[in-house]
Amino acid sequence: MEDKKPIIELKDVTFTYASTETPALKGVNLTIYEGEYVALMGLNGAGKTTLQLTFNGVIPNMMMGDFEGTVIVSGMDTDEYPVREMAKVIGLVFDNPEFQLSQMTVAEEIALGLENIGTPPAEMHRIIAESLEIVGLSGFEDRSPFGLSGGQQQRLSIASALAMKPRIVVMDEPTSNVDPIGKEEIFAVAAQLNRERGMTVIMAEHEVEVMAAYADRIIVLHKGEIVLNGTPHEVFTQVDTLKSIGLRVPQATELAYQLDQKRLASYAGKYPVTTEEAVQDLTDKFGKGG
Amino acid sequence: MQGVAIPITMVAGDSYIHRLNPLPKLFIALGVLILSFATRNPLVLGVVFALGLVFVTAAGIWKSYLRVVGILFPISLTLVVMQSIAPAFPRPWTPITDFGPFTIYQEGIYSGVSMLLRIFSMTTFALVMIMTTHPSDLFTSLQKIGMPYVLNFILTMTLQLIPILQNEFAIVLSAQKSRGMKGSGFGAVLPSMVPVFVGAIERVQQLSISLESRAFGSTGIKTSFRNVTMSLKDYVIMVLGVLATLATTVWVIADKSLDWSRTLIFPPTLSIIIVALAAIGFVAFFILAISYVLRA
Ligand SMILES: Nc1ncnc2c1ncn2[C@@H]1O[C@H](COP(=O)(O)OP(=O)(O)O)[C@@H](O)[C@H]1O
Ligand SMILES: [Mg+2]
Repeated sequence: MEDKKPIIELKDVTFTYASTETPALKGVNLTIYEGEYVALMGLNGAGKTTLQLTFNGVIPNMMMGDFEGTVIVSGMDTDEYPVREMAKVIGLVFDNPEFQLSQMTVAEEIALGLENIGTPPAEMHRIIAESLEIVGLSGFEDRSPFGLSGGQQQRLSIASALAMKPRIVVMDEPTSNVDPIGKEEIFAVAAQLNRERGMTVIMAEHEVEVMAAYADRIIVLHKGEIVLNGTPHEVFTQVDTLKSIGLRVPQATELAYQLDQKRLASYAGKYPVTTEEAVQDLTDKFGKGG
Repeated sequence: MQGVAIPITMVAGDSYIHRLNPLPKLFIALGVLILSFATRNPLVLGVVFALGLVFVTAAGIWKSYLRVVGILFPISLTLVVMQSIAPAFPRPWTPITDFGPFTIYQEGIYSGVSMLLRIFSMTTFALVMIMTTHPSDLFTSLQKIGMPYVLNFILTMTLQLIPILQNEFAIVLSAQKSRGMKGSGFGAVLPSMVPVFVGAIERVQQLSISLESRAFGSTGIKTSFRNVTMSLKDYVIMVLGVLATLATTVWVIADKSLDWSRTLIFPPTLSIIIVALAAIGFVAFFILAISYVLRA
C-alpha cells in the first residue's frame, strides 16, 4: 500500500451525538488509500455508520453533536466543504434503501444526482443504462422505485451513487434487507467496481467469510474505537481479541483455531481465513500422510 | 385502507390532450379557474362545465373522472344547502319559503347552484390537466419557466409520500390489531397517526442526508433529465386558450346583465326540492363514508 495515495485521512476524530453522553467515535485515526476495498466490522452500535458519515461530511455538517479532529477526503477538509460538494468525489449508500428514494421512476431516481452535477441530458441516458446494467436492473427504467423489492431498492441506491462516478463508494450494511441471492449480487457489484473501475470501496458488513475473501483491509470498531486494522489475515487471526468483543471469525479460521486449541494441529497464529486456504492448509497437514 | 387511495393521478393514454405540452393545459386550467370565480351566472358556468366534459371525453378519462366526482359532488351539495339558508350575498335577501326551522332565500339558491357549477367547471378542467399529464413533465415545464428546482423537488416528493404514508398507516393499524388493540373506528385511527408521523419525520431526515450526498442543492449548472419541448402547436393552443378565457372573463365582469340573482326566479316548490335533494344526497354520502371508515 505504500505506493498508493491516501484518499481518506482521519486525525483524532471524536464525535458525540447531541443529547448523548458517550462519544460514538473516540480518537479515531485512519488512512484509507485510493483503490482499496475496506470492510468495516463491529457489533451494532460500534460506530460503523457514524464513522461512514464523517467521510462525506454529514458529520459534522448535517448532524448535531460535538466534533473534534479533522477528516481530509481527496484533499478536501470535510469541515470546509458542504456535503453536496463532497458528493462529487464520494458516494454514500445508506442501510435503509427505501428512505433514500424520492422519484417517480427508476430512471429519474438515478438522474437526480446527475442533474445536480450538471451532466448533459444526452449523456444521462447512457449513464443510466450503464449504471442499471452494472447492478442488474436493466429494463427497470420506468418502474416506480417504491414498487421494487428491498434488494432491488438497495441496488438502485447503489446505481444512483455510482452513476455520479465518485472516486469512493461507501456502503452501510448494503445487504441487511436482502435475500441470499441478492447479497451475492451486491457483493459482486462492489467487487467489480473496485477491481474493474478502481473505485475505493468502503463497506460496513457482517458477513465475515465474504469480507475475508473480497476485502483488502478489515477495520474492526468497538465502542467507537478502532481495535483492529489490517489485512484479513492480520485481523481474523486475532481470534481471541475478536471473540472478546463478541465478533465471529470466518468458519475456516474457527476450524483451524479449534484444531490448534485441541493441539491437533499447530498454526502458531497463522490461521487460514478463506475456505480455499483452509482446504490447502488441511491438505498440506493431513492429506499427504493419510 | 388500500381502497381509500387518492384517485387523482395520471391516467395513462395517448389522446390528443395527453400529447399536449403541460404548459398550455396548465394555463387553460388556470384561466378557467379565474373565469369561474369571476361570474355567478349559471349559464356561463354551465357552458364551461359542458366544455370541460367534452375534453374529458376527448382524453378518454371518464372512469377516473367519475371516481373523483363521486366524492366531490356529495360534498359540494352541502354548499347548496348552506347557501340556501345563509347566502354569501349582500343583504337584503328575498325569502322564498320556509323549510322546517329555516328560511330559503332566492339569493341563496342562486348562489348555491352557481357555486356548485363553479366548482365543477374549474375542477373538470383541472382534472383533465392532471389526469393527462405526467407530474414530472409538469414540474419540469414549470421549472423551465422559472419555478425553483427545490419546489419542483418538494412537489415530486410530496406526491411520492402520500401513498407511502397511507401504506404505513395501514401497517401500523394492522399491527395494533394484532396486538389486541382496537383495529377499527376512530379510537384506533388516532393513536396510529403518532407512529406514522414520527416515521415520516425520520424518513424526511434520512432523505435529506441522502439527497445532499447526491449533490442536491449544489451550486453550478444543473441539467434536466426529462425533455419537455413546446412545439408551435403548443404555443398556438396556449395563446388561444389564454386569450379565450381572459376575454370571457372580461366579458362576464363587464356585462352586468349576466347577474341573474334577482331575475332567475326559483319557485317555492322547486327550491324545496333542490334543498331537500341536496341535503339527502349529502347525508347519505356522509353515512356511507363514516361506515366505511369505521369498517376499515
Ligand atoms: N442520530 C443519533 N443520535 C444519537 N445517537 C446516535 C445516533 N446514531 C447513532 N447513535 C449512537 O451512536 C453509537 C454508534 O452508532 P452507529 O454508528 O449507528 O453504530 P453501527 O452503525 O456500528 O451500528 C450508538 O451508541 C448509537 O446509539
Ligand atoms: Mg449502522
